[in-house]
Amino acid sequence: MDLFLLQLLTGLAGASTLFLVAAGLTVIFGVTRVVNFAHGSLFMLGAYIAWSILSRLPRSPEYFVLGLLAAALATAAIGAVMELALLRRIYRAPEMLQLLATFGVVLVVQDAALWLWGPVDLAVSRPPWLRGAITVAGLRFPFYDAVLIAVGPLVLGLLLLLFHRTRWGLLVRAATADRDMVAALGVDQRWLFTSVFALGAGLAGLGGALSMPQGSANLHMDLAVIVDAFVVVVVGGMGSLSGAFLAALLIGVLQAFGIVLLPKITLVLVFLVMAAVLVLRPHGLLGKPQAESRAEAETLAPIRPAPAILRRLGLAALLLAIAAPFLAGPYLLTVLTEAAIAVLFAASLHVMMGPGGMASFGHAAWFGIGAYAAAFTAQGLGTSMAVGLLLAPLCAGAVALAVGGLVVRMSGVYLAMLTLAFAQIAWAIAFQWVELTGGDNGVLGVWPDPWAANPRTLYWLALALCLGATLLLRRLLYAPFGYALRATRDSPLRAAAIGLPLPRLRLAAFAIAGAAAGLAGAVFAYAKGSVFPTYMAIPHSVDALVTVLLGGVQTIAGPIVGAVAYTVLQSWLLTSEFWRIKLGLLILLLVLAFPAGIAGATHAAWLRWRGRSA
Amino acid sequence: MLTVENLHAGYGRARILRGVSFALAPGEVLVLLGRNGAGKSTTMKALVGLLPATGRIRLAGTDIARWPPHRIARLGLGWVPEERRIFPDLTVAETLEVGRRPARDGRPPWTPDRLFTLFPNLGPLRDRPGGRISGGEQQMLAIARTLMGNPRLLLLDEPSEGLAPVIVDQMQAAILALKAEGVTILLAEQNLPFAARVADRAVILETGAIVWNGTMSALMNNPPARARHLQV
Ligand SMILES: Nc1ncnc2c1ncn2[C@@H]1O[C@H](COP(=O)(O)OP(=O)(O)OP(=O)(O)O)[C@@H](O)[C@H]1O
Ligand SMILES: [Mg+2]
Repeated sequence: MDLFLLQLLTGLAGASTLFLVAAGLTVIFGVTRVVNFAHGSLFMLGAYIAWSILSRLPRSPEYFVLGLLAAALATAAIGAVMELALLRRIYRAPEMLQLLATFGVVLVVQDAALWLWGPVDLAVSRPPWLRGAITVAGLRFPFYDAVLIAVGPLVLGLLLLLFHRTRWGLLVRAATADRDMVAALGVDQRWLFTSVFALGAGLAGLGGALSMPQGSANLHMDLAVIVDAFVVVVVGGMGSLSGAFLAALLIGVLQAFGIVLLPKITLVLVFLVMAAVLVLRPHGLLGKPQAESRAEAETLAPIRPAPAILRRLGLAALLLAIAAPFLAGPYLLTVLTEAAIAVLFAASLHVMMGPGGMASFGHAAWFGIGAYAAAFTAQGLGTSMAVGLLLAPLCAGAVALAVGGLVVRMSGVYLAMLTLAFAQIAWAIAFQWVELTGGDNGVLGVWPDPWAANPRTLYWLALALCLGATLLLRRLLYAPFGYALRATRDSPLRAAAIGLPLPRLRLAAFAIAGAAAGLAGAVFAYAKGSVFPTYMAIPHSVDALVTVLLGGVQTIAGPIVGAVAYTVLQSWLLTSEFWRIKLGLLILLLVLAFPAGIAGATHAAWLRWRGRSA
Repeated sequence: MLTVENLHAGYGRARILRGVSFALAPGEVLVLLGRNGAGKSTTMKALVGLLPATGRIRLAGTDIARWPPHRIARLGLGWVPEERRIFPDLTVAETLEVGRRPARDGRPPWTPDRLFTLFPNLGPLRDRPGGRISGGEQQMLAIARTLMGNPRLLLLDEPSEGLAPVIVDQMQAAILALKAEGVTILLAEQNLPFAARVADRAVILETGAIVWNGTMSALMNNPPARARHLQV
């Protein structure tokens, strides 16, 4: 019983910092409709800045409080700069592009923090007054945790006052419902958005600063906290402050008990709770159906079959690819094998995102499931590679079918977050179920059959499988299935009215995309000889997204062009120091300068050129 | 008050308006007529800066083409959209506060109390969320919200659409009261009898271009023109 109470209090203390982060995220989303992936980075910056300030200040309570507030203010200022320099330019861009741009910021901040504060975890030695304990029902409970418990409701109260008792809050609530209407009433939304973003960033910074004295400031806190914050925001209902508070309590307490009772499956447990909440209440505990975004949407140009010149170029590229083993050295051949796999991986995501209109942020899950399926058939069953290559897409497709049943009903951001959540579950299982997967050490010795072991043959095999599957996917897009799918994306209501079975079409696309990614994963497993949990980690999902966006979402050649460009780029980037900041800046450049991707930009240039010469 | 010359606008690649020109004198009520999809709402959205547009738009002597919406609104263009776009979670009183802007050159500013006199239905609903009042009440609230900004020129997009006859009569009385106060109004309408009772002049749009232009009484005395341009 005592342990129960203590654990409950610990959970409530954790819930407070979680609430601060989630509150900032949900407020920003409510007004700007941008899901800020970099919110965890702001949290991390808050912690580091607090460390820098507190380790220089006298260790008295007043200075401690002032130091934390200063850290929050500094983070708010960083948030304002981020809004002015980046987000302001992409409010009308597709959601996925926004999410990706903020992920670019995550990468930049990671390397910037590494450069500024170094790789070592930083902690402040806690002054005596902070180390004290208070007695609750005969139990000694850390004083600092008690303070944290009080901070959550206090901040919620202040925020509610701000939103309901000030003109600024009134305008923010109006803009949450309809930003164009608010602008047409004479309100400068640019200023409103910047201030909202600064407030959200300040809350994240305060959360980071408050959590630092308990542990440390380190380079892993950004992604750890952002995933938790996503869960809280989705469970609470996007845009709802009180919902975020309730959800933070729920998740915080769940985590506190999970760590004691079932340490291995805490992460899985959290996501299961999220899935359960969303099945019962698709918009979260206190969320409302998302209003149709009021911005006048850009109309998408229809997809046309490739013109003859492109097809000839494609054929030439294919011949070159087949002849490559005679021209390229072993290193280049490995890069090319990876490029072929990346093509299929990207093409599979493209089916969901382009024609399907479903933006997935957890596509690596299917790749990973395929890779592990291949590894287990190789090791457990000891059968030939062919069985593995067959089982992998089947497994990935079957799991995608099951998960898709829950996911495809959701729209936009929810879908992106749910797919991310599922990928995190898959990753957690691979990482924590050491007996089966070897955990971080991975599954080694996944070798291809002797006939394919030679790098050349393996390359040809990868090329045949990956390009073959990619071409199959392309065929699908010109078949009635592809047209029906695009109809459901462009106008779900009208598509339903002419009798297109919307959920089933999207589910089919989801499962097909999963199976194709699974095949890519299996080929990768055989090519590398090993499988690791990182195959399913967030960065790998982002790789797929960057590839698709690099190529261009609305062109069919996009994923192919993107995959080749990105693989070559990565093999060059990954060997350099501070590659994250370079990749991050590249992503930002891509989003700001070429939102239509390489293939899209080329297509537009081609149209302009023809228009002029005609 | 407003001069529009050679206005072109559209959505993405769809070009809708093809060179629309007209002018409004202070205190005048001009009605834009035209069948469904003629481009009435598109004209209004282009004027308030919500759609990319080319051409010349002068409001009270200032060229406002390509200005952002909030600056156009501050200069005195008030827009009441066809879909009303009421903030569902804000109460009637809060909604009016969102629209509040400083008074304009000498005219008495609009206040919630004056607006509750103009639209008596709204007074008792002060604390009701906008999402939980009737369609007619929402239309009144949408107009009242825009008036709180003390506009020089009011754009009303189909204020009588979908309303019960009693409410249409109230709407007509309100518009005539505004006209009596000297408010300049650009109205978009499909309801010709309604337009005939409030407007001084009419402009007829057809597939994004102006096909008829004259006084309201001239239009009412010209059945062939009405048949050609307005009957469906
Ligand atoms: N958001 C939009 N995206 C693309 N096209 C649009 C959009 N809104 C309107 N259109 C098109 O623009 C044209 C003009 O529409 P508009 O709404 O201006 O007509 P309207 O005269 O106001 O008609 P109504 O009397 O039905 O309101 C129509 O062909 C319509 O299909
Ligand atoms: Mg209209």
